[in-house]
Amino acid sequence: MGPFNWLLTFPSALTIDTGPIVDDAVASLSRAWAPLFSLMGNALLGFVNSIQSVVDIIPWWVMLGIVFALGWRLTRRASRGAAYAFMLLIVGILGLWELMYITLGLVISSVLISLAIGLPIGILASGSRRAESLIKPALDAMQTMPTFVYLIPAVMFFGLGKVPGVIATTIYAVPPVIRLTSHGIRQVDKEVVEAALSFGSTRAQVLFKVQIPLALPTIMAGINQTLMMAMAMVVTCAMIGVKGLGYEVIVGINRLEIGRGLKSGIAIVIMAVLLDRLTQGWFSAGDKLKEKDE
Amino acid sequence: MRNDIKILIVLALSISLMSSAGCIGGNLAKNEKPVIVFAEQGWDSVRFHDAVAMFIVENAFGYGVEEVGGSTSVTYAALLSGEVDVFMEMWTDNLAFYDADVADGKIIELGTNFDDNAQGLYVPRYVIEGDAARGIEPLAPGLESVSDLRGLKSVFKDAETPGKGRIYGAIPGWQVDEIVYRKYMLYGLADDYCYFSPGSDAALAAAFASAYEKGEPIVGYYWEPTWLMGKYDFILLKDAPYDPELFMEGGCEFPAVPCTICVSTKTPGKAPDVVEFLKKYRTSSEITSKALAYIADNRATTEDAAKWFLREYEYVWSGWLEEKQIKAVKAAL
Repeated sequence: MGPFNWLLTFPSALTIDTGPIVDDAVASLSRAWAPLFSLMGNALLGFVNSIQSVVDIIPWWVMLGIVFALGWRLTRRASRGAAYAFMLLIVGILGLWELMYITLGLVISSVLISLAIGLPIGILASGSRRAESLIKPALDAMQTMPTFVYLIPAVMFFGLGKVPGVIATTIYAVPPVIRLTSHGIRQVDKEVVEAALSFGSTRAQVLFKVQIPLALPTIMAGINQTLMMAMAMVVTCAMIGVKGLGYEVIVGINRLEIGRGLKSGIAIVIMAVLLDRLTQGWFSAGDKLKEKDE
Repeated sequence: MRNDIKILIVLALSISLMSSAGCIGGNLAKNEKPVIVFAEQGWDSVRFHDAVAMFIVENAFGYGVEEVGGSTSVTYAALLSGEVDVFMEMWTDNLAFYDADVADGKIIELGTNFDDNAQGLYVPRYVIEGDAARGIEPLAPGLESVSDLRGLKSVFKDAETPGKGRIYGAIPGWQVDEIVYRKYMLYGLADDYCYFSPGSDAALAAAFASAYEKGEPIVGYYWEPTWLMGKYDFILLKDAPYDPELFMEGGCEFPAVPCTICVSTKTPGKAPDVVEFLKKYRTSSEITSKALAYIADNRATTEDAAKWFLREYEYVWSGWLEEKQIKAVKAAL
C-alpha cells in the first residue's frame, strides 16, 4: 500500500467530527427554549388527552357494535361485519382491551395531526414544482432516518411520554399522505382542469371542486397508509414511555416472556387489520356510490 | 472517451479487488486462533469492560475478537447457544433465571467483575441543596430518604397527570423494576405519584440528562456505574438497611449486585487461556465510573478509555496476566 494508502482508505484528513457540535446545539437549545417547548408540549398533551377521553367514553359493547355496523355497511355483508367484531372481541379476551384503547387514542391523535400537516403540504406540493423539489428529499429523509435518532432529541425537548411519542409518530407517518395527495392532484386529467378554467372557475374552485374530488381515491389511499405507518410506530413509542400495547411487547421481549409479547403482538395486528379494512372499505364504498351516480 | 472511462473503471475495480484480497489474506494469516465473541448489551460500562478485555485478548493471547450488540435478553440467548462467548458484566439480579442456568451448567460463571455498585431512587443534588452558581433554589431541602418523598408531589410534577408527581421507574422487564414498583406501593407513594415507566434505558438517560441540564427537579430509578452518574451530581435517596427478608417487597435499600463474568459452555474448549485470564479479571464500580467519565469528558471512544485504563491502572490488571503477556499488552499500547 504505502504512498497510495489514501486511494484505498478514505483519508482521515478529510473527516470532520460533527457529533459534538450537534450534541451541544441540542443541549443548549433544550435549555434556552425550555419554556417554549413545555408550552408546545402542554398544548399537544391537551389535544392527545382530549382525544383519549373521547375514545375512553365508548363502552366495549358499543365499540364492537360500531365495528360490526361499519363492517356490514362498507362491505355490504353482515358476515364480514361479524368477523370484524369477533376479531376485536379477541383483543378483549386476551385481556388487552384497555391497553388497546390507549394505543387507539394515540394513533388517532397522531393521524389527525399528520392530516392537519400533510394535506395542506400535499396540496402545496402539487401546485408548485419548486415546493415539490424541496419537500421530496425531506420526506425521503423522514421515512429512512432511524427513529431513535430523532426520538431521543424529542425526549430532550419534551420529556418522556405521550408528547414525544406523538411527535415521532407524526414524523414517521406524515410522508404518505403528503406524497399521495400531491400525486393524486397532479394526475387529474389536464383537460378536465382546462375545461373548468374555461368555464370561468377560479383557481380555488378548480382545486376544491374539481382536482381534490377527482384525486380523492388517491388521497384516501395516502390517509390509509399514514394510519398503517402510525400503527407501525406503536412499539417504538413504547421505548420512550408511551403506554399501551407496544409497552406490553417491550416488557415481554425484555423478559423473554414470548407468550406475553405474542399476545400483544396479535392485538396490534388485529387493530391494524381492522383499521386498514374499515378505512379502505370506506373509500371503496365511496367509489361504489359514485359509480351508482354515474 | 468511452473507452477511457471503461479502462478507468476496470483499473479502479482491480485495485480495490486486489487490496481487499490482500486484507482477507492478511486476516486469515493473523487469525489462526478462533474469534472470541463479546456481548455488548447496550450500556457503556459493559462496552468499556469489553474494550479492555478485547484489547488484552487480542494483543496478549492473539485471538480474533468481535463485539456483538443486542438487548440483554437477546445476547443472553446467544450466550446460552454459544454464539456469544463472553459476558463481561452480568447483572445477576436482572435475569430471573440466571442462578438456575448457572446451577444447570448452561452457562459458566467465572468470577465477579465488580460488586460495589449502587442503585435506587436518585435526585439531582440541587433539588436538596440548591445551586447558587446556576441560580437554582433548593426545592426540597429536607429530602433525605425515599419515605421523605411523601408530600413532595408538587416538586416532582407529572405533566401528563395533573395533581400528581412522577417517579421514573426502572426499565420494563428488568427485575429491579418490580422491586422499585413494590417499594413505591409499600412506602405509600402511590397516592401522590405516578409510577412512570421510561420504556428504555436510552429514554431514561435522556430524561435524567435533560432535566439536569435545564435544572429541573426529577426523581427516579438509576444505577451506578454509569456515565450519567459520573458526569452529573445526583444523590441516592437513603432507605432502610438491606435485609434479605424485606428486599423483594421493596422494604429496604438495594444491596450491591454482583456483576459477574460469564462464558458459554463452548468457550473453555475454544480458548482455555482466555478463560483463565477472565477468571482473574476484577475491577470496581469506582474504576468503571472513572473510565465512563473519561469517555464523557473527552468524547473518547471505548478503545481510548480501555487504553487509558491500561496506562493508569497497571497495578490492577498486571495481576491478571503472566509476565510475557503483560509485555505484549504494554508493547501494543
